[in-house]
Amino acid sequence: MSTRAGSKAPSAPPVFSLAAELTRLLGPRKVLSNLSERLNYRYDAIAFGETPLCVVLPDSTADVVIAVKAARAAGMPIVGRGAASGLSGGAAPTEPGLVISFTRMTQLSIDPVLREAIAQAGVITLSVTEAAKPFGLIYPPDPASFRTSTIGGNLAENAGGPLCFKYGVTGDYVQGLEFVDADGEVHSLTRDAYDLAGLLIGSEGTLGLITQATLRLTTPPQFTRTLMAHFAEVGQCAEAVSAAIAAGAVPSKLEFMDRACTNAIEDYLHLGLPREAEALLLVDTDGNDLETVEEERALVEAACRNAGGTVRRAESDAEAAQLWQARRSVSPALGRIRPQRMNEDIVVPRSVLPEVVREIRALGDASGLHLVQFGHIGDGNLHPNILFDPRTESLEAVHELAHEVARVAIRHGGVLSGEHGIGSMKLAFMREAVDAGTLAALWRVKHALDPHGALNPGKVLPAEEA
Amino acid sequence: MNNEIRTHHPDGQGELMAHAVDACVHCGFCLPACPTYALLGEEMDSPRGRIVLMKEVLEGALPLFEATPYLDRCLGCVGCVTACPSGVPYGELITSFRGWSEPQRQRPLLQKVTRAAVLTLLPRPGLFRAGASVGRFAKPLSPLLPQALRAPLDLLPRTLEPAQPLPALTPAEGVRRGRVALLSGCAQQVLTPNFNSATVRVLSRNGRDVVVPPTQGCCGAAAMHTGARPLALQQARRNLNVFEETQVDAVVSNAAGCGAGLKEYPMLLAGEGEADENRARALAAQVQDISEYLGKLLEQGELEPFLPTSRPLKVAYHDACHLAHAQGIRSAPRALLRAIPGVTVLEVPQGDLCCGSAGTYNLEQPDLAGQLGDLKARNVMATGAEYVVSGNVGCHTQLQSHLTRLGSPIRVLHTVELLDMAYRGQL
Repeated sequence: MSTRAGSKAPSAPPVFSLAAELTRLLGPRKVLSNLSERLNYRYDAIAFGETPLCVVLPDSTADVVIAVKAARAAGMPIVGRGAASGLSGGAAPTEPGLVISFTRMTQLSIDPVLREAIAQAGVITLSVTEAAKPFGLIYPPDPASFRTSTIGGNLAENAGGPLCFKYGVTGDYVQGLEFVDADGEVHSLTRDAYDLAGLLIGSEGTLGLITQATLRLTTPPQFTRTLMAHFAEVGQCAEAVSAAIAAGAVPSKLEFMDRACTNAIEDYLHLGLPREAEALLLVDTDGNDLETVEEERALVEAACRNAGGTVRRAESDAEAAQLWQARRSVSPALGRIRPQRMNEDIVVPRSVLPEVVREIRALGDASGLHLVQFGHIGDGNLHPNILFDPRTESLEAVHELAHEVARVAIRHGGVLSGEHGIGSMKLAFMREAVDAGTLAALWRVKHALDPHGALNPGKVLPAEEA
Repeated sequence: MNNEIRTHHPDGQGELMAHAVDACVHCGFCLPACPTYALLGEEMDSPRGRIVLMKEVLEGALPLFEATPYLDRCLGCVGCVTACPSGVPYGELITSFRGWSEPQRQRPLLQKVTRAAVLTLLPRPGLFRAGASVGRFAKPLSPLLPQALRAPLDLLPRTLEPAQPLPALTPAEGVRRGRVALLSGCAQQVLTPNFNSATVRVLSRNGRDVVVPPTQGCCGAAAMHTGARPLALQQARRNLNVFEETQVDAVVSNAAGCGAGLKEYPMLLAGEGEADENRARALAAQVQDISEYLGKLLEQGELEPFLPTSRPLKVAYHDACHLAHAQGIRSAPRALLRAIPGVTVLEVPQGDLCCGSAGTYNLEQPDLAGQLGDLKARNVMATGAEYVVSGNVGCHTQLQSHLTRLGSPIRVLHTVELLDMAYRGQL
């Protein structure tokens, strides 16, 4: 391979000096500066950002410290990156600078006595549970991308997943954090006062770079039962969910997808899902008492039937596993419909779910654009997605529809992000979602922890009003 | 992924590549399925990263030479295709891209020579046998040679089995229930001649006349996947002529890579005119892997029953990438093995990950191929199996070489060899 040397000399002098300085400090294996390399660190799973000037792949927290200090000295912004499977543009830089990719910080240890995992930021989410299983323990947070995503990325976005309805989101499992601040200092945090760890979780790399976490593990439920219900209308599905929970069921997973999603999945996995149904509901009940688990499933079944649904029980673990693989594949499978999309991550009170899904459906139908819905309906977390082809459909119309959908959520007392973060994708709606006084308070927090505005600029908070 | 590829490449191959890039939503679900990402942990060595690089090159935003180190490291195992929910035809993209980019590349002389040697020797069993015989004697010199020459020598077996020429027609045993043609493959005729003999015996036992057209040639997969598109086209056209004349129910292949190659003719001939495109589609529709063909017989209750083994036998099944990922054939070979009374089929841990053989990859990227081969061999050993079977000569050679190096007594066979042994009461 004779090509590495070819583009070693980028044009802007500070770039050259930062890459050269980092290469001197960290060695060439950890520093990427060729165009072909840098081009690959500018996107996440929804957005393309600015091409970074330099990329560092640290092996250790000490490497992160060196990188942060060098970038600070060069006056460069710093964007942390996990597996870049996020859906809000969080890891896509808004301006050229340094990207720190944590994919090589993959040390993981399990303490079965304390029931803790100590994971570096680059550890793959699913591997925590895999490592804990031999000790009879699991790590419940299960974002759809858990085979790809990293703990650091999950912490930055406070990721959720189907199991989070019953078991809680990523942040609920954090006992302690290690992070590198904007000046390159290392801090170790526990969940005592002040709960600074809580502040960093979900801060999308704008307040500090999380390098390691101590995660709480739990014992897995002994019994799990799975069912699938389908409905002729999306609102019926939401009514069934509200009724089931009101009747006292606490399923471990309650997931919904509409007809377009079901068809995209069917094209991928060929499972025999009902292609004609307008809405599909997937439900797990679990626990250590089989009778209760089955009673809960019966409650959900009754609620689905009363709402007009058709119910099918998964007959085997293999069938259940297939249904959950189907659910995890929804988001990327939508690429089969249109090449580009605008996704949302709204959360609304469960009591208004039927109205919300119906209003969003009606907005989609009226728009002439492809709008689909799926999500963690049990906790009111919906992912309306607008699928479009930028060559033939108007970007303005797409943004307008996305804005209308966000307004539906806000009008019904909801919020913009349940688990994906605000990133750059939802920035435009923040002023409507958060009042000016609160935004000012958030900015004061940002200034306190990142006084130079170097950490993931252009994310989460809309620009301060002069 | 938004792209302007069609504007820059308004032809059949350009359309194919643009379509693949369109479908990618850059979700990253492919990352854990990619062997090079697993080894190197860099985005450029992932399917998603490579798609971005190809797009940038095709749009003229990135010089080709900047992208080639990462694109060359792609095994073409298409494990990412199985993992991709949005249906990106990655195999078509990388193959077409290699075909488009090869004429523009400047390769060092030694690389040029070895590429030409491989693509000349591989499709010619006679020459390959002669080369392999000479090569065996050069094996002791291997540590002294440059990497490009060392890799092929290390892979050669110490002894070559005698050739097993196949009759042009082997009649069905008993009642004649069908007529199939066999694609005889190239390297396997020299390295593992029993693959074809066993295949013919098993098909004949199941009432099939087996035609082996003597004028058939290399399927073209090796040329196609390494960017030698003109050669691949020439080889494909020859086979289209030969197999169109055979008048058979199916064209059967026992080499996953070659079977996948024939099934890829529609992609290879895209843009070569409607007549050729239709012929390619017609042949591709006739092609079946041996396990796919026999699996259907098993499903329909028409497969001749196997004799039981003399003692309980543990068999690990290794998924060849070009069977599992490229052709989507996973359950049929396992079902066939389970149909042998006394056989327990074991799964290989990390079974989705390529063994590193990947056509000519272990010649071009011996370091990465070696790491993957070592990992695969250790995973096979962890099953505790007595036999490991697979449906591809490349995997076979790779498994054999790494298991031997690690001192494992596990026997490596083709799936159809084990079925043949079961029919003959040799298990």
